[in-house]
Amino acid sequence: MVRVVIVKRVKPLPFGNILIPLLSIVMGVVLAALILYFLSGTPPVLLFVNVGMGFIQIQTLRDFLMLTMLGTALVISFTGAIWNIGEEGQITMGMMAAAYIALFTALSHMPSVAKLTMIALALVLGGLWGLIAGVLRAYLNIDEVPVTLIMNYIAYYALNYLVRGPWKGKATYGYIRTDLIPEATHFTLLPVRGVTVTYEDVALTVGIMAFAAFFLWRTAAGVRLKVLGSNPDALRAAGVNVQAMIILALTISGAIAGAVGAAQLAGYLHRISYPMESHTANLGYTAILVAWLSMLDLRAVPIAAYIIGALNQAGRLVQAARLGGAAITYLFIGTTLLTFTVLRVFSEYSIRFVRGGGK
Amino acid sequence: MITDVLVSGALATAPAFIAYYLTALGHGFFEKSGVLNLAIDGVFYLSVAVAYATAVYTHGPWGALAITMAVASVFGMLIAYLTTKFPVSHGAVGLSVMFLGYGIGALIGNPAVFAYRDLRSRGVMFDIRLPTEPVARALMYVTAVLAGLAILYLTGRTKLGAAVRAAGENPHAASALGVDVLRVRLIAGAIGYALIGAGATFFELAWLPTWQQLQGMGHGWLAFAISLSAGRHPLLTMVTSATFAGLLTYQYALQAAYNLSPEVAKMVPFIAAIVAMVLFMATPLRRRLAPPLSLGKVYFKEERTV
Repeated sequence: MVRVVIVKRVKPLPFGNILIPLLSIVMGVVLAALILYFLSGTPPVLLFVNVGMGFIQIQTLRDFLMLTMLGTALVISFTGAIWNIGEEGQITMGMMAAAYIALFTALSHMPSVAKLTMIALALVLGGLWGLIAGVLRAYLNIDEVPVTLIMNYIAYYALNYLVRGPWKGKATYGYIRTDLIPEATHFTLLPVRGVTVTYEDVALTVGIMAFAAFFLWRTAAGVRLKVLGSNPDALRAAGVNVQAMIILALTISGAIAGAVGAAQLAGYLHRISYPMESHTANLGYTAILVAWLSMLDLRAVPIAAYIIGALNQAGRLVQAARLGGAAITYLFIGTTLLTFTVLRVFSEYSIRFVRGGGK
Repeated sequence: MITDVLVSGALATAPAFIAYYLTALGHGFFEKSGVLNLAIDGVFYLSVAVAYATAVYTHGPWGALAITMAVASVFGMLIAYLTTKFPVSHGAVGLSVMFLGYGIGALIGNPAVFAYRDLRSRGVMFDIRLPTEPVARALMYVTAVLAGLAILYLTGRTKLGAAVRAAGENPHAASALGVDVLRVRLIAGAIGYALIGAGATFFELAWLPTWQQLQGMGHGWLAFAISLSAGRHPLLTMVTSATFAGLLTYQYALQAAYNLSPEVAKMVPFIAAIVAMVLFMATPLRRRLAPPLSLGKVYFKEERTV
């Protein structure tokens, strides 16, 4: 009889940090293709062609930048083993903040002031949304995963309430949506044909990456966050205020997601339509995949963001079971993340086949 | 007079009650075995879609109930197997399966909507709903209470229940005492998720018998909060489930009575879910009904057979 034995490796798998994420993506896509084929008859070839298209299409660039920012935000909180699954809600709050400034204040007469205020208020509101979950986790030890997820729905419905009620636009032709935000508050598109990326997106991405690198690699708080992720008891024993670290991680993470919400509104949405959760790209969930596949290494975040951005784009192109977009993207996220979670074991363990029974 | 009102109120909330109660009950039982169950919302969503689709394809609700329970329990066993056999994060497995559930659920539910319309237009008439006349509603309460008592007995009074609790508190010690942790968690996953599947079926076929792309999404998290705020105790879970069932059934009545926006009304249960968790965790209840000691901890021994 042949037994299968899992044995710890003496050294981690060479190049495991690169091989395993790549292999997970390939296997995840294949698995998704099989599920699509069996459930809705979508030919796998069609899917693979669309994935290939996703890698070269210019529209992927926007998701690439957004996912880089969102992935970076998650790497910060995941480093401390704080699982912020609430970026969707934080993005929504950021969008709400930016829309308020653009639609209802006189700042739109001063474009650059308006844009900065939109981003600033989005940072605050997104951060606040993360902070609430942080406080509940830090002081009452309520798992942040359900709390952040439930807060996504609260944020969606809060913004939907505004869009249906007090914020409903005048010139909307019967649609339930806000008016367009004033042109002066739109972010400026890069002057390349077909590109849907703005100068502000690029600046925000660079700024957020630089901040994250400085915070995680150069500050005491960043080091403490890493220890929080691996050995919280040691941190407590060293007299560090663990509660404050948890709250900080979720607040920073939420603030960055909030800024992305502002960028989405001012960059391409330009108005909020009801129901807002069906009119946005749900990138807050997709970013979880980016953060995990980067193995929480900031330098790998843009690479993971590009690959996942391409898959996301492929999800939009594929129509299966008369569905496109979110459903297909969820399928990709699920299959890839599950494969990755299991495969990651093999960077530290190996599987051996042993002949003979007994122990 | 007042009893009439209470009885009719209770009967009105019966489908929501049994849906949330069975889901929360199954979730709590599974977590007793030490597996952190973050997949609940995805598999709940998937089960809702499976229940709808099988009811459409089999022209009735009863086969759907059985099939949905079976499908959900396969997912429960998958989660139990992965988290027990491999040194992997329970959170990562749970969230992956959650997204998988969202994806597969939409792929199953959406074509069924068109199939249903097509059957209707060809004059094929059948009812996908579970019976909801007053007697059936009263029976829903009986079923829910019996299921709760069965789980209470199973957990507290049987050998399997003792093994489940041991696997949740300290799987290494349990294993040393001769408990097959993997087997026990597989059973807990199968039973727990069969209940979640049953809850989802009642949600879809007894309470809200239509399907659209967001159908049921988020309600798994409500069940998570219902179970957590009752300390995963089968009897206390009845109280929290009844509260939420009332809240969700009368959501629209509340909206009309207080002239609320529908969006605000939709928000209320989610805020209540957070409040319920806060109330539980901030009070001595938390110590009386503590979670299993090894909930969500990686259980792994070096060099073992698969």
